[in-house]
Amino acid sequence: MSWGYTINRARDIDMDRNDMTISKLILEKIPSLQGCIACGACVATCSTGALTKYSLRKVHTLVRRGEYSGLLDELNKCMLCGKCQLVCPRGINTRAVISLIKRELGDHR
Amino acid sequence: MNFYYDHFIIPFIIGVAILFSIVLYKYVRWITRLPKRDKLLIRKNIFTRKTLSAIQEVILESLLHRKIFRVNPLLGYMHMSLAFGWFLLIIVGSFEAAVHLKGEFLPPHAHVFYKFFAPKIIHTESGTTWEFIMDFLLLFVLIGVALAWGKRAYSRAMGIKKSTKHTRADRIALSALWLIFPARLLAESFTSGVRGGSSFLTGSIGNFMVDLLGWNTMVAIAPYTWWLYSTVLAIFFIFMPFSRYMHIFTEIPLIFLRKYGLKSSDNKQKSFDHFQIEACSRCGICIDPCQLQSAAGIDNVQSTYFLRDRRYNKLTESVTNNCLMCGRCQVKCPVGIDLNTLRLNSRHSFVSTSKADADNRYSYLNGVDLSTGSGRVGYFAGCMTSLSPKILNAMDKIFAAAKEDIWYADKNGGICCGRPLKLSGEIEAAQKMIDLNTALFEKHKITTLVTSCPICLKVFKEDYRLNGVEILHHSEYISRLIKEGRIEVSKSDLSYTYHDPCELGRGSGVYEQPRDVISAIGNLVEMEHNRESALCCGSSLANLEIRDDQQLKIASQLGEEFKQCNADSMITSCPLCKKSISRVANGKVEDICEIVANSLK
Repeated sequence: MSWGYTINRARDIDMDRNDMTISKLILEKIPSLQGCIACGACVATCSTGALTKYSLRKVHTLVRRGEYSGLLDELNKCMLCGKCQLVCPRGINTRAVISLIKRELGDHR
Repeated sequence: MNFYYDHFIIPFIIGVAILFSIVLYKYVRWITRLPKRDKLLIRKNIFTRKTLSAIQEVILESLLHRKIFRVNPLLGYMHMSLAFGWFLLIIVGSFEAAVHLKGEFLPPHAHVFYKFFAPKIIHTESGTTWEFIMDFLLLFVLIGVALAWGKRAYSRAMGIKKSTKHTRADRIALSALWLIFPARLLAESFTSGVRGGSSFLTGSIGNFMVDLLGWNTMVAIAPYTWWLYSTVLAIFFIFMPFSRYMHIFTEIPLIFLRKYGLKSSDNKQKSFDHFQIEACSRCGICIDPCQLQSAAGIDNVQSTYFLRDRRYNKLTESVTNNCLMCGRCQVKCPVGIDLNTLRLNSRHSFVSTSKADADNRYSYLNGVDLSTGSGRVGYFAGCMTSLSPKILNAMDKIFAAAKEDIWYADKNGGICCGRPLKLSGEIEAAQKMIDLNTALFEKHKITTLVTSCPICLKVFKEDYRLNGVEILHHSEYISRLIKEGRIEVSKSDLSYTYHDPCELGRGSGVYEQPRDVISAIGNLVEMEHNRESALCCGSSLANLEIRDDQQLKIASQLGEEFKQCNADSMITSCPLCKKSISRVANGKVEDICEIVANSLK
């Protein structure tokens, strides 16, 4: 019987093995990311999120952990409309965050 | 035949040769690299009245500097006396030499050092008149130089709070320029002192020097003063093509090309861009209007620095992205450089998305249609508006009052208009949004498209090809409803001030309709900065660099002006502006449609 709830499969996260270079660089460039409380407001308001499973909170969490695989494809779904920036209670420039992560993960020249 | 040679002309000749070969090289290169369409435009328009109107503009702007006079009269006078004064010195000097030599062969340097080479003619009667005119013109230019010195010391006297930080080449060229006319004064005075003659300026100084130093010393020093004059001219000429002074020549072809219809493009860097970039004189008039500078203290991203970095291939992504694209600098630029477009195509150059990438990335949007309703009038609220339910409700009330049958494009969510992507340089991705939305509008056969978001409005107007669809911002739409009598509003005693959103005012040229609407409802009180010079709210989607606290500081400037004008409430017509001003305003901040909805009869 399905109740509509899911649970992430258990997986092994070894922070020692993860490459934190990009993660640290991103924090250095946008220090306000430290203040993210993972409230999910960005996801709740997201235009892309209404149509796909794209979640900035998830992407951010993974980046901070140094787990980058597949994230560029996820971020590339973003339309950069900026609603998340407007609702962020911590005043994080989310569009800058998205652009920066994309750039660091190899999207930009 | 007399070649008027003396050793001291060598630096001058070298300087002129280097200057003109480099300038010529640059122009030929830029022109030959123009795309075919641009070349065709030149060929088509060169023998039309456009050339005449370009000549007129060259006289008004490159010589008289009308636009700088508008910024500040003293600053305008300074530029005019340097540019126009120098121009007259060259022209009148050539005439003087030509008249006195009666058609004899005259090498071009002869009139520059005319007083050295042709001292005998000055005793004739017409010679005295020429001398007077030349002295007068020299004085005219020297006043400009003195003002330039004064500006270095106290730029506020010329309405410039913060002036440009110059590069080394600029400083050298600048120092040389400042010395050219004092050196000329010195050389001409010494020569007049030694040989006699000359008019009120160089003549009097010459006589004074003779009294002071004695004739023999004067004779010994005089040749060196000409060496000095020739050398500073040479230094200026050699540094000119590499420094800000490249603008002196570049503005002229720019004016012609612009008249012929050449434009920079948002999505491609073109050869024409060079004319715009090197026409920038780094005068720094763009610095003061920049709120990133005045409010947030960021002082290396302003248009003058952006163009400088781009010109010398030192542009970083962070400088390129750190701009609100509010357009406040662009309306002030005396050269009329298309700053926002250049900024956009620079941003695009950092992005590597291809059309296939964009198709792939946004494949989830294919076939998305969340629209409701069936009217011929489409309402595209915009992403930001969906975060302001008050605006949505007010618009619904207005639509109902006007009995308008509406097709709601994005009531239940939908596709972004594409402008935010475009502002980030992701032109190909933006094009995908444009194509998808265009297909949606065509599918529902709308004839009018109303939007509540000026960001959407601008992209609809500029980048969408919506044949037969009228595109309106809701302030324009409401103003029309009131004029046509389709809705009636009651007038109250409340006073309102109006904030022009950047994308609606400077961006789309809509200034009057919102004011008409407000005047129909209450009393309009203008803020200090309004219309073309209106302040930005700071939340512009175009800036991908600044922090929240910096945005807040920029918004606070608006909050301050709101307080000063003592209005009961501040009206704006952009959901994003409304949100960001609300954070700092002491009073009510409302969208224009809210006050309309509240005063419907």
